[in-house]
Amino acid sequence: MTQAAPGTTSGASYEKLAEQMEKIVLNRISNDQLVLPPMPVIALKCLTLLKNPDFSLKEAASLIERDPILTAQMIKMANSAAMASRDPVQSVLQAVTRFGMQKLRTFLIEASARKVFESRDPRIVEAARGVWEHSLAVAMLARDVVAFSNSGSPDFGYLGGLLHDIGKPIVAAMLLEAEKAILGVKASMTWIGSVEFINIMQRIHRHVGVALAKKWEMPEPVCRSIKDCDEYDNSDRLSVANAVRFSNAVAKQQGLYVGHVDADDIEALVMIGRSLLGLEADVVARLTDGLKNKAKDQMT
Amino acid sequence: MPKVLTVDDSRAVRMLVSKNAKEMGLEVDEAEDGQQGLVKAAEGSYDLIVLDVTMPVLDGPGMLAELRNRGDKTPVLMLTSESKRSIVSSLMKLGIEDYILKPFKPDELKAKIAKALKIAGPALGDEALVKEMASIVQAPSASDPKAPPGGKQFVDILCIDDMENVAKRLRTMIPDHVTLNPASSASAALAVCRERVFRIIMVDNDIPDVDSSSLMRQLRVMQPQAAFVSLSLRSVPKAQDEAREAGFVGVIFKPFDQAALEEFLLRYFDNQELIATSENVISITPFKGRENRLAGYFMQVTNLVTKAVEEIAAACFAEVIVDISQVPLLPEKTGRMVMQLAERTRKVGLEIRLVGPSEVSANLKQLVETSDLPVYPTVAEAKAA
Repeated sequence: MTQAAPGTTSGASYEKLAEQMEKIVLNRISNDQLVLPPMPVIALKCLTLLKNPDFSLKEAASLIERDPILTAQMIKMANSAAMASRDPVQSVLQAVTRFGMQKLRTFLIEASARKVFESRDPRIVEAARGVWEHSLAVAMLARDVVAFSNSGSPDFGYLGGLLHDIGKPIVAAMLLEAEKAILGVKASMTWIGSVEFINIMQRIHRHVGVALAKKWEMPEPVCRSIKDCDEYDNSDRLSVANAVRFSNAVAKQQGLYVGHVDADDIEALVMIGRSLLGLEADVVARLTDGLKNKAKDQMT
Repeated sequence: MPKVLTVDDSRAVRMLVSKNAKEMGLEVDEAEDGQQGLVKAAEGSYDLIVLDVTMPVLDGPGMLAELRNRGDKTPVLMLTSESKRSIVSSLMKLGIEDYILKPFKPDELKAKIAKALKIAGPALGDEALVKEMASIVQAPSASDPKAPPGGKQFVDILCIDDMENVAKRLRTMIPDHVTLNPASSASAALAVCRERVFRIIMVDNDIPDVDSSSLMRQLRVMQPQAAFVSLSLRSVPKAQDEAREAGFVGVIFKPFDQAALEEFLLRYFDNQELIATSENVISITPFKGRENRLAGYFMQVTNLVTKAVEEIAAACFAEVIVDISQVPLLPEKTGRMVMQLAERTRKVGLEIRLVGPSEVSANLKQLVETSDLPVYPTVAEAKAA
């Protein structure tokens, strides 16, 4: 993003614009008119299959095999160190068997979310990659934090972390579409500056993220993790949402974030979170050890 | 004796702080608002102030700001029900040592007081547990070469089961050199995992009031290197499936079966002896044991050689020599093992040369996948080829 072009929206009126955009988005969400990325067909079919308690692993495997990218990702993950296996997995059926139902579900949602973060627009491709890396770091950390603090299902922690910023690329794409509509083909111009662009995105993305999570039928603790990631819920101390909030702050503290970070704010959030979740400093240090590399590994 | 001032409008909180600080051998004074707190702080010299945020007359931030204006740098521990980041962030700017959210656990308060005063904190372990462990454990001493960096003691197996006899029975069935720690509760297991490093952690799937999967996940955070094995009664249906689903690498059934236990030990403790690698030559050692363990032997050897092949490829050798002359000749198993090894070496870009007797060569010639693999009678000939 560059500075606003003359004649387009300037800093003085962007607040009004942001308000209007927020209203439009909220209105569309409440009327179920907001166009959100659908879950990829194969993932959707497979997740539907998993809802049946008598589902067959073979059927799930044969569905996944129709998507070569999903197949490759699945076998890679099944052979990763995280799965702690000694025998290499060579087929989707083996991978599905090793994953089990819960992990398979998480994998399918992760693969679907990854697609949302893939942008064709060169202006946001790097930022989207950065947000995805941050999300993966928060997800991995939240899974451990939830497990360690006994605050719910670690898999929900993982999904909450993974999806807590999923509204960002969607809003970014919406803003770029709006820009195209306003400016036509004048690609060198922008209608708002980069600061305004980020501020508008920050203001709207949580609404959009929650709407997407609901559309994708995510469990309630996951939706709550996306809804408000900035303040802890003191009334529900040991919750998945608080673990995600804490992990988000820790990831930012570790430099795993795209955008401005207020160091005092983040330090306060980490300090509160440690007491809230009952985590000692040495445990947090151990959980974050090598986090950046793990997130990078999972991106490839 | 270090002196602590607790400033809180709640008498109950002041009493609780006093009680815990006194238990730590500290001297404690109380004040019920920020104004009183400032007066006390001016009168006496304190090593730590435990301060609430919301109080009548003068609140915690007001008192803290005034203290710092006076040049008083006494460490302050905030003890509050306030969790708004903007408020805590502003307190941090004024200089606080740490923060505790109400309601709090006495252990957290004691640990944070100890940290602020730089004195020893509350003991995390359970003395009775330590004594109990000492009676059974044959763990190496701290100077043992097995001790990992960081000074933590290395122990082979942690057995978590509320029935104490399980660990005792296990001790009698495993070799003396394999070290074992028992833990009869989740808290005991967590405590011992803070102090030691384990290779294998066995978790009973039926500990009263404990979700074994949840316990395993907590322990995994502390012991990422460990393999987690579920302990289950044979009568539990689908124990294997459920254990895998929960993330365990396998199940050991109770009561223990010597053969199954041997198989398990082979998997985790005898790996290094199954193969020997020198430069680009991998020699598979002879099979020792009961016949019913042969399947496990072939599986282990295949896995180990596969890994060794990758290391040889990484070291930039062009070919790998695998000496299978000591491997028992079971046509189907040997053939399958060689097929897998050949596939792996092809994948990593290495040429494979086998060493074995003529019977092995004849056996491999009968299989399409292995018929073209060269088999040499000796390692020297394979090297010279």
